[in-house]
Amino acid sequence: MNYISFVLASALSDLFRNKLRTFLTSLGILIGVASVVLLLAFGLGLKEFIRQQFDSLGTNLVFVLPGRIFGQGGGFQATGALGGIKFDEKDLFNLKRIDEARYTVGVFSKTMKFQSGGKSEYGSLYAASEEIFPARNLEVEFGRTFDKTDVDKRSKVVVMGPKIAEKIFGKAPLALGKNIRVESTQTYKVIGILKSKGGGGFGGPDFDRFVYIPYKTAYVYNPTKSFVSLFLRGSSEEDVPIIKQKINEILLKRYKEDDFTIADSKEFISTISSIFTILNSVLVAIGAVSLIVGGIGIMNIMYVSVTERIREIGIRRALGATEQDILYQFLVESVLLSLIGGFAGLGLAFGVVILIQPLFPAIIDLVSILIAVGTSSFIGIFFGVFPAKKAATLSPIDAIRYE
Amino acid sequence: MRYLSFIFKSAFLDFSRNKGRTILTSLGILIGVLSVVLLMALGLGLKKYISNQFDSLGANLIYVMPGNEKAMTSGAGMMGGIKFDDKDVLRVKRIEGCEVVAPVFAKPGIEMEANGNSETGELIASTDEINIVMNLQLEEGRLLEHRDNDKRAKTIVISPKIAEKLFDNQRNALGKTITIEGQNFKVIGIYKSKGGGGLGGSDMDSHVFVSNAAAYVFNTEKKYFAIYAKAESKDLIDRVKKDIKTSLLKRYDEKQFSVVDQAEIMGTINQIFNVLNTVLVAIAAISLVVGGIGIMNIMYVTVSERIREIGIRRALGAQSKDILYQFLIESVLLSIFGGIFGLGLAYGIVYLLQSLFPAYIDLISIILSLGVSSVIGIVFGVFPAKKAADLSPIDAIRYE
Amino acid sequence: MSDIIKVDKVWKEYMMGDVLFQALKDINILVKEGELSAIVGPSGSGKSTLMHIIGLLDKPTRGKVFIQGKDISTFTDNKISTLRNEFVGFVFQQFNLINKLTILENIMLPSIYARRKLNYDPKEKALYLIKRFGLVGKENSYPNKISGGQQQRVAIARALIMNPKLILADEPTGNLDSKSGNEILKLLKELNHKEKMTVIIVTHDQLVAKETKRIIQIRDGEVVA
Repeated sequence: MNYISFVLASALSDLFRNKLRTFLTSLGILIGVASVVLLLAFGLGLKEFIRQQFDSLGTNLVFVLPGRIFGQGGGFQATGALGGIKFDEKDLFNLKRIDEARYTVGVFSKTMKFQSGGKSEYGSLYAASEEIFPARNLEVEFGRTFDKTDVDKRSKVVVMGPKIAEKIFGKAPLALGKNIRVESTQTYKVIGILKSKGGGGFGGPDFDRFVYIPYKTAYVYNPTKSFVSLFLRGSSEEDVPIIKQKINEILLKRYKEDDFTIADSKEFISTISSIFTILNSVLVAIGAVSLIVGGIGIMNIMYVSVTERIREIGIRRALGATEQDILYQFLVESVLLSLIGGFAGLGLAFGVVILIQPLFPAIIDLVSILIAVGTSSFIGIFFGVFPAKKAATLSPIDAIRYE
Repeated sequence: MRYLSFIFKSAFLDFSRNKGRTILTSLGILIGVLSVVLLMALGLGLKKYISNQFDSLGANLIYVMPGNEKAMTSGAGMMGGIKFDDKDVLRVKRIEGCEVVAPVFAKPGIEMEANGNSETGELIASTDEINIVMNLQLEEGRLLEHRDNDKRAKTIVISPKIAEKLFDNQRNALGKTITIEGQNFKVIGIYKSKGGGGLGGSDMDSHVFVSNAAAYVFNTEKKYFAIYAKAESKDLIDRVKKDIKTSLLKRYDEKQFSVVDQAEIMGTINQIFNVLNTVLVAIAAISLVVGGIGIMNIMYVTVSERIREIGIRRALGAQSKDILYQFLIESVLLSIFGGIFGLGLAYGIVYLLQSLFPAYIDLISIILSLGVSSVIGIVFGVFPAKKAADLSPIDAIRYE
Repeated sequence: MSDIIKVDKVWKEYMMGDVLFQALKDINILVKEGELSAIVGPSGSGKSTLMHIIGLLDKPTRGKVFIQGKDISTFTDNKISTLRNEFVGFVFQQFNLINKLTILENIMLPSIYARRKLNYDPKEKALYLIKRFGLVGKENSYPNKISGGQQQRVAIARALIMNPKLILADEPTGNLDSKSGNEILKLLKELNHKEKMTVIIVTHDQLVAKETKRIIQIRDGEVVA
């Protein structure tokens, strides 16, 4: 204990005596660690952001899509959505018999031109049953959603997302009760405007830009009475695998295995996340180059330190210090230099993350902290061991006579 | 002149006395310059690769697609929106300066079966003019001809890759039958491999070509998702585009379709990669800053080791700016060494990579790397040099 | 009295440029426990090299050194370091104190490198030596803030902290005025006389040598008397 505290104390006092040198050497590691930790934090933040986006649109969701969506590589095969089968009311009816699913919704969507007053705007007409609203956590801000009666009676009503409502009517609440023309042919009454869900992008659909219509009303645009996708929502996470299995059994009676894809939100999130993870790893790897450069700086300054202290090394050896004693002395110093930089870099990264928190949910997790502290110790050891070895293997007699 | 050579000589003398220190200090800059130059080279290579991919499609191409341009480049427009019909094709064909017009129906993600093997690909249905707009070259057999369309012949042209996958051997494929969703097609030809795939373009070698008429079984509406046209010359592209737009505006709203040429599509893709590349280069440049700090650190050490020497020089009549230059030259040289060797190493790596990826180093990268390393030498060297220059001669000469 | 050091047919050679330089030629010395001896010779005679070999800082090219009967040529570096730590106490001409450490820290430094548990408190011992050598009040000063004579007394205190069997003093008075030099010499003699320590003084000064009981004359790497 006495020995360890002695080694630490003498290393610290040496670092303190050369303040500028210590500062500049650690600064290299500081910059490296701060950039690596920040890049990791942005990556984590982005993933979290995506997850929240998905969660805000309903959890425990199972999607049924035509074609094969997930390729062998785990990536999206967007092409699958274009070809392949279309689902119909019979599929919807069959899937509704799954007890574990609280909601079962078929969706048909198409890009349409919406007009009101002199203004026109392209957007997605989103045709579904009244269950779409509870299933995707969509709530009205103004007016009401359409209900089962609207669906069955083919009422000519629509519910609008706030963004598209704002585009066409200037302000979202102004849309309520107005009439809207679709493709210059049909006119519908706007009965409700949704609360904003925000976001969009990052692979998730932007529900704020959709115009929702009872799916039976939309049959005019959908003469084949088909759905481009179906989704089901379970009550709990445990329901998800059961629902998926039952869907598979039901659909296989009509379709081939490759004709459809059953996926839950987690699979979507992990597929999207994995793309960002790759990009993030590349960024972190490039950021880590500066850590290597910082390590070389430590090595360089430690060689200087050894040269400056050759006589001191000689004296210590004459008084009985072994090679390991000298090795540890210099190694502890280089590791401390690196750790000081590492902790300061971590602190800086924390500061930046807190500052940008209102703009972006960057996260520093325990793993990042461990990586920061771990790599900076490793760098201190790796780049410090050569100079320390040089110091340790100096011949005592040459060292003590060195001028 | 003698003064300058003297300063350089004494700098080099100091370097050779402290070889290890010189190498390590320059190494920091070397790594920084290496990573920046390599990333720039990869970025440039990527751009070149993409433009090669587009060029292999043939020149002067114009694409007519559904959706507005913004939607088109993000890929969203293709899902919904309008589809073109024969009337639209005729309108485009009537435009002067429009050499070739190929209406295209595409069905991605199809399953092709033959010989007990199966393979996924993308079905492209068009007229024989697709051979020109997609720059298809014949490898075996023949390409689609006018008569295939007229006779509604169930003929198909495939890539060597698909031929090999389905029939083990290219030569075996000719005359054989491929089944696509229950429909049989006879292989009449194999086109030369287009290679590539990935990066902004689809894998051209997964395409199979049939005549429009033969694809009506899949394309019951007899509509096309795009019209590919080719202008007679490069100068005509803009005019032809304008004319197509004017003509189609008679039927459609301007937001319902877009007319773009290759340069525009390439520009959009390049823009995305440019942003990504800039971010990567910026992160790599952090290591240059760290390397610069290393120079500053070592220059401070050098100054304090040589305080007495500075004192002696001052006593012999050196002005403070002589001392400043002496140390500044040393730090700039340290940095430029790193820059030059980093550049050299980058050249080596790019040369080795050449067979795999067309990375290249342009003049801007060279100027940038040498410029940046000089600037780093100056910026991080000036503080220690200033410290040396500001020492009082008497304190310096008496320093132990 | 038993043999504490035996230098047996020791040669030390090194290359000076292209020329082989023989610093020591066939040296045979026997030192008994409790002796007070001097190795005397002009500069360049090889006396310092001999002292470094006896002090285990250097190794002979040929020949053997026995410490308390043990051949140390078979010892590992760690074992030799431990011997330097426990067995030898050095006093150098240039004092060789570490300037960034306080007087107290300098004196205690060997105890930090001790491989075995000491049966006394090194700090207590250091404070005792400070008192004994008239350094009270300087505990927390630094070596470059005290006089040469005081520095050498610190060095002797440091040499004594581990209770060594052997004190090796290399020109201990070389950098001191005659008054301080005499004090140091008196101290070394006292250590030999009162504490029965074996003391070897290396010097070029015949007057210093005369203070000892045995003089080993060295010239051109050979023992001449």
